[in-house]
Amino acid sequence: MPHAPFSRRRFLQSAAALATGVALSPASMVSAQASRAGELNLLVWEGYNSPNVLDPFRREFSARVSASTVISDPDAVNRLRAGETRVWDIINLNNPWARQHMHPEGLIVPLDQERFRGYYDEMLPEFQWPHEWSMSLDGEHLVGLPQRFGPFSFVVNTDKVSRATAEDQGFNVFMDPSMKGKYGILTWSDWNIFHMCLTAGFTPFRKHTPEEMEEFRKVAEYLFQNARLLSDDHLQMNQALITGTIDAYFTGGTYTASVARYEGFDNIRAITPNSGPIDGKGGIVWIEITSLVNNPNPTPLATSFLEYIMRPDVSYEVAMADGSYNPVAQMGTPSVMEKFSAKDLDAIQFDSLEEELSRCVPFQINPDYAEMLEIYTAARRTR
Amino acid sequence: MRAWLLSLRSRLSSMFPDPVAPDVSPPPLATRLWQRAPGPLLAMPVLVLLLVGFLAPLILVVTYSFMPPHTFSLTQAPTLDNYRNVFSSTYYVSFGWSVLLAALTTVLLLLVSWPIAYGLTRSFSKPMVLTLLLVLPLFISENVRLFGWVLTLSNHGVLDGTARALFDVELPMPLYNIPIVLFGMAFIFLPFMLFPMALGISMIPESCREAAYDLGATRLQVLREVEIPLAMPGIAIGSLLTFVLALGSISEAKLLGGQSIIMIAHEIETAFTYAQNWPLGAALATLLILLTAAMVIALLARLDMERLLGRGR
Repeated sequence: MPHAPFSRRRFLQSAAALATGVALSPASMVSAQASRAGELNLLVWEGYNSPNVLDPFRREFSARVSASTVISDPDAVNRLRAGETRVWDIINLNNPWARQHMHPEGLIVPLDQERFRGYYDEMLPEFQWPHEWSMSLDGEHLVGLPQRFGPFSFVVNTDKVSRATAEDQGFNVFMDPSMKGKYGILTWSDWNIFHMCLTAGFTPFRKHTPEEMEEFRKVAEYLFQNARLLSDDHLQMNQALITGTIDAYFTGGTYTASVARYEGFDNIRAITPNSGPIDGKGGIVWIEITSLVNNPNPTPLATSFLEYIMRPDVSYEVAMADGSYNPVAQMGTPSVMEKFSAKDLDAIQFDSLEEELSRCVPFQINPDYAEMLEIYTAARRTR
Repeated sequence: MRAWLLSLRSRLSSMFPDPVAPDVSPPPLATRLWQRAPGPLLAMPVLVLLLVGFLAPLILVVTYSFMPPHTFSLTQAPTLDNYRNVFSSTYYVSFGWSVLLAALTTVLLLLVSWPIAYGLTRSFSKPMVLTLLLVLPLFISENVRLFGWVLTLSNHGVLDGTARALFDVELPMPLYNIPIVLFGMAFIFLPFMLFPMALGISMIPESCREAAYDLGATRLQVLREVEIPLAMPGIAIGSLLTFVLALGSISEAKLLGGQSIIMIAHEIETAFTYAQNWPLGAALATLLILLTAAMVIALLARLDMERLLGRGR
């Protein structure tokens, strides 16, 4: 049998044929499916992607974990709607999305209630079973687990604006002519719109009349025209507050102020108004719900991850993750509480947390968000 | 005579067949293509890659811009609603700021980069050191570099804090206004103007300058009539790079400018994220692409790159 010389062309032909064959072989398909056993993909808010949270999980479960940061709740939900349920295993969003949208649309799957119900016994009283935002609309299914939460209204430098004044006046602090050029706006659009509605004197969580939309436009234009600076980075906003560039910033809460407080700037304080237009309440509280994505090729690590983040030590790491410190629902149990130092608790304003929560309503979806966002962006553009 | 020669040739051929006579049957199509046009065949993989990786996303963006607002599918009846929305609202403000600041950045960098580029190629004794100083920051994220300026220029920042500590003087804060946005853009895009310009200056033959001086040209005349025309390929490429990149900039106005103005790239980002209005974002992006293409084509038409690069006439 003649022995053909092994040319570069023959090598390339053989390599291409081999690669195609391997890629298309049933064995490779099976191995691709099987390889998900050690893989976990997270679509989560900042904090859950912290190495302090993820690295111990990677080591313990020999897992390949990748995490992507959510930039807005609707953006994340639309990614699942666009077919990314094949990509993600865990999603972590603010409270209304799991029960009102993702579960009814089949984007997430219910959790095993027997397996997870016990965790609620260790949570703060506000989160006891059956916790409204953890359950489906019909109350039958567990659609996710609560963990981080916090009041979210605005932040002041108490050396410039006293806590009592800020709480009494609420968002009207920013409409005071003496505050012109002395405040910033943290441009998290969805929250800004909630708070502009509250400033205008009505709830954001229902359909609005044309008169209310006009009032909203006036408030948005006034606030943008008189702001000293705008930023979508809460750390930059804290820095401006600390250096005296501004006295307060519109839209903020424990989530944004806690890092500055932890660094010793006790004069930076998240404020919850004493009163407001939503049944007398003027504050809004967000609760993150972590759910299982309806991935057609699920990984067993997803449920393990949910159990993992409920552990006392991991709950603490989630609460004190890089970039933002927050209370967690698991603080209802002593084994979690004892991990928080006095400094940690001061950073998250734990002393006034219960009182502030009593002045808040839960985060909900604004039915006029799209229309209000157009007014909002136009006001921001022409300021 | 000719007929006799042809008959002799035919007889000889039949008696002594040519052992190396070529096979007269046509070669396979692939071989013929390969023999006739190896260049296009070899370029095919790159061409396919460009079509899939470059043209397809552009087509996708343009197609999305004709879909109904707030939808996520490409299979709906096309509409001009997004373009109507853009032209009936105040988006022209953001387009205007982006074009103006990109143009000002380009002009500013032309003025700033010329002496540095000239020094790099002609005067400095250790040009490598300066080159390194200019290149090394590129390894750091743009946002980190800009935030460094925020920390430097803010109240109680590096400059103000030092002035207060040493001289008990309070410096005015130059942040959160339009001039600082221009400064930030010039700072970020300097290398994109500087290095092509330095390359252009290095292409100027020393003999041309000497000849001009020998003929009595002044320094200004040498600059205007010898150096700038001969360095024009570098200047043109640097200007194009700077202008196009600056047109799509976003972080400078956000971090240094405190959103005192909203650039068009910021509007596109908002449409795709917070607004979840992909068709509107796509319409804005399409208009930005068209605007950029129109400006670049207009510039290239005036400049005649073939001649500048020395390939033509």
